[in-house]
Amino acid sequence: MLVQYATAVAAVILVSVHLVMQGVLVPYATAISFGNILSIYGSGLYALFLEALLVVVLVHGFNGVRIILHEWKQTASWGTWVDIGTVIAIVASVGYGTRTVILAIFGGIAT
Amino acid sequence: MGSKGSAQAKNKRGVWGWLNPYHYNLERWAYVFQRVTGVAILLYVLGHLGDTSFFVGGPIGTGPSESSWAFISGIVENSFGHLILVLVVLIVFFHGMNGIRLILSEFGLIFRKPSAIEYPYRPKSMNQFQRYLVWIAIAAAIIGAAWAWMILFG
Repeated sequence: MLVQYATAVAAVILVSVHLVMQGVLVPYATAISFGNILSIYGSGLYALFLEALLVVVLVHGFNGVRIILHEWKQTASWGTWVDIGTVIAIVASVGYGTRTVILAIFGGIAT
Repeated sequence: MGSKGSAQAKNKRGVWGWLNPYHYNLERWAYVFQRVTGVAILLYVLGHLGDTSFFVGGPIGTGPSESSWAFISGIVENSFGHLILVLVVLIVFFHGMNGIRLILSEFGLIFRKPSAIEYPYRPKSMNQFQRYLVWIAIAAAIIGAAWAWMILFG
């Protein structure tokens, strides 16, 4: 649960910043435009922020599902497979999101 | 050991017992909605990972692609998509604010000292301050959704 609480506090802060950046600091239409996103990915700080948001939210979410599933059944095999499935889900989803961030920064611009 | 149909078996209703709203109080509703919104937010985040990946051409892309981004924007940037976003903001605000309440209560910061058990015993876990925090979470969700509505539809 400590992981859940720590990621919860971090998620509240990071998601708040994300929402402010998407609709308060710049108009929403500008925030989601291709050119604007490309320019802010050029800032390594924003990429790090997005990566942190990705990890925090996904760990919090999948760990939450793990907690629910552990409460549902309490057999040893069920618990083991739930834990393994949670780790796989976190690694896969964080990996896919990280791929997007890396390609956005280092990938060649396609037409 | 209780047999099927006995009082013991009736207590083991699993997830269906968990979802039965009969005799729910405010704290129980908050608990259920915390879990339901949590799962819903996770599903949204996974979809969000998918649609934002179209910035780099989708699952098979190699880098930023304006045509791919325009393609996915054409699908999600419409009234229905914006309505979904308003709902997401609603549940995110509730989940976050109620989660803060849960963290504060888990660390005992918003409980009163336990008292002697006297009839009718009212658990100190659900004192008036906790109720206020649940209603504050609901109010924050509504305000957040209104703010998102203004941004997306205004």
